[in-house]
Amino acid sequence: MKYESQRVAWWFFATCMLLFGLQLVYGLIMGYAHAGHDPLHPIIPFHVARAVHTNLLVVWLLTGFMGAAYFIIPEEADRELYWPKLAYVQLIALVVVGVVAIIGFHLQWWEGRKFLEIPRPLDFLVVVDVLLFIANIGMTIWKGKRMTTTSMVLFFGLLMAALLYLPGMIPTDNQTLDSYWRWWVVHLWVEGVWELIMGAILSFLLIKLTGVDREVIEKWLYVIVGFTFLSGILGTGHHYYWIGTPRYWLLIGGVFSALEPLAFLGMAIYAIAMARKGGRAHPNRVALQWTIGCAVMSFVGAGFLGFAHTLPQVNLYTHGTLVTAMHGHMAFWGAYAMLVLAMISYALPLLTGRKRHDTPSASFAFWTSNIGMIAMTLAFAVAGITQVVLERRVGMDFVTVQKEIEVHFWGLLLAAGLFILGISAYIYNFIRHGKPVAEVQGGGDSGASPPAAEAA
Amino acid sequence: MLSKSAARAFFLGGTVLCAVAFVGLTVDTLGRIPAQTHQGEITDAVRRGKDLWDRSNCMGCHTLLGEGAYYAPELTKVFERRGPVFIRAMLTDPEKMYPGQRRMWKYDFSERDKDDLIAFFQWIGKMDLNGFPPKPTLAQMATTTGLAATVDRPQIFNQLCVACHALGGQGGQVGPALDGVGGRMAPAQIAAWLADPPAIKPGTQMPKLPLTDGQRQELTAFLSTLK
Ligand code: HEM
Ligand code: HEM
Ligand SMILES: [Fe+2]
Repeated sequence: MKYESQRVAWWFFATCMLLFGLQLVYGLIMGYAHAGHDPLHPIIPFHVARAVHTNLLVVWLLTGFMGAAYFIIPEEADRELYWPKLAYVQLIALVVVGVVAIIGFHLQWWEGRKFLEIPRPLDFLVVVDVLLFIANIGMTIWKGKRMTTTSMVLFFGLLMAALLYLPGMIPTDNQTLDSYWRWWVVHLWVEGVWELIMGAILSFLLIKLTGVDREVIEKWLYVIVGFTFLSGILGTGHHYYWIGTPRYWLLIGGVFSALEPLAFLGMAIYAIAMARKGGRAHPNRVALQWTIGCAVMSFVGAGFLGFAHTLPQVNLYTHGTLVTAMHGHMAFWGAYAMLVLAMISYALPLLTGRKRHDTPSASFAFWTSNIGMIAMTLAFAVAGITQVVLERRVGMDFVTVQKEIEVHFWGLLLAAGLFILGISAYIYNFIRHGKPVAEVQGGGDSGASPPAAEAA
Repeated sequence: MLSKSAARAFFLGGTVLCAVAFVGLTVDTLGRIPAQTHQGEITDAVRRGKDLWDRSNCMGCHTLLGEGAYYAPELTKVFERRGPVFIRAMLTDPEKMYPGQRRMWKYDFSERDKDDLIAFFQWIGKMDLNGFPPKPTLAQMATTTGLAATVDRPQIFNQLCVACHALGGQGGQVGPALDGVGGRMAPAQIAAWLADPPAIKPGTQMPKLPLTDGQRQELTAFLSTLK
């Protein structure tokens, strides 16, 4: 840790751990309900559990991105945060809004719009809070000693994420328009600007962990985020096939979204190539494991499994089935959950001054959670494909089909058990690192010492 | 080889180009949506129905236009598939309609709320969705009777009864299959049963359905032919 104000990142990361843990509990409730047991129905019916599960996911990921930015930006800009106290205020405000939203969901205070369930008054508070955050890191960059590509890409990713939240609030009576704008938030986040954030955080981690020259890493960062927007913006069309929008979206959405995996493939190749290229091994091997794991699993979950149902000929049958849930889990896990976990793994020893990165439990957490998630994805896949065949192709009744696939949800729960074991080990490690009491090192470029700069 | 400034130019150029194209297409789409979704037919009832749909978070279990959760049936074509009688009964007391099955939240909808939601579903069902939901192409293969056999049934049978009962291998499995029911029960028995199942057999899982006299006669006549 180079600057005193980076310490705030730890509090963001601790919040992440808490919300992530809670998210999984609600996942289990839904898994049991799908398996045929909903004893909690009178208190936490499925639609409550679902709103809590997905919103906690989004909130802990955003909290993680903010924590990452508060750690990365001072280091990149070579100065303390512009308003260090504001960062704490902003975290507390975010947590308060989050808690109110979660309690509100249990009282069924919400907007029933998938992923954007947070009630309108709270939406505005979220936007204000995020803008404060953006202002803080923006001023830090502006007043900093240097303006790196990594910090600019991160900054613009976060800024665009905040701005793209706004179309989701456009009022309309028409369900089609409602969906149309909802995707400007949901799709343009995960397959657009969040990828900028992902690219920037990965490149920061790769610079630190592999010691490859910044110029090389940042050049490829541009290429990757270039591919992201080239495919991802018009790729939004893959959500406009069947919602009452013109037919040309079948062609545009199909072609461009089919190219989206390229950005993720780029990310995977880039991470592996840089790790190979890096001369000196950084002692924090686990952080590198998560970094490369993130790049690879995001290709599997978002790239490969996204491609699997993105062509209109396929999507006609899989649209709105458990096949989507299969893709949703692996994509969010690989691209964004693992990204935040990679960042935490890297930053934690620096924040706390405890170098616990080589413990067996750290490695156990990585492997167990990933194997668990792969198994969960397989369970969703079998359930989803069976549903598609029986319901959409054979024409069997929905409820009858759900009875038929209940057994796969026992498989899901088993896999989830493994996954939760891995995540528990991760959280255990987090706790064992203790409070952020590391000494401040002061300015100057440190991290892994770079091998001879190399222009490629 | 590629320089960093060329990479940056690629990024900025590609992004601006695609963003402009996307905004242009959005303008065009916004112009076409009203016709494709029959926006003119959005009455006050439909508007209130959409509001109820949002406030109740129906999307937290169901899909509509294929969007939502995967816990409960797709509702885009529910008006055509089940009709207003079934929808109203379901919104009144879901557990009565699917006893002992996966549970739906019991909302306190007023009669007007139910009318509004039905109007909303009716409007949604008429949209041009480019072919969604797809027709089950393998249906013929899966049943010996095939789809054609359902044509001569009363519409109310295809909407309401098959939710729980099977006939010719197609339909729900909550109640017994209705093949041969005309042989087991006399027309008068069938009519009495349809009027009030729990009165005939206390504790039965079949609810008293809000059928009109005409619908009950139609169903009785049809069921009596199933020998
Ligand atoms: C990290 C990136 C990604 C994440 C986190 C992600 C996540 C999700 C989620 C949660 C959904 C469900 C949305 C909803 O129904 O409300 C979804 C849908 C979808 N995703 Fe992704 N996705 C990612 C990348 C991709 C990519 C790269 C592709 C294509 C190659 C893709 C193709 C699709 C398609 C076609 C659907 C619609 C499924 C349907 O019709 O029901 N996704 N994605
Ligand atoms: C204990 C582990 C978990 C279990 C048992 C679980 C289970 C579930 C279930 C049953 C659903 C609802 C599907 C439906 O609508 O019927 C769901 C939705 C979802 N979960 Fe999880 N989940 C778990 C962990 C996770 C994790 C770690 C992530 C992200 C990294 C995640 C992301 C999502 C997303 C994005 C959706 C919405 C998917 C969609 O709408 O297509 N879940 N989960
Ligand atoms: Fe998408």
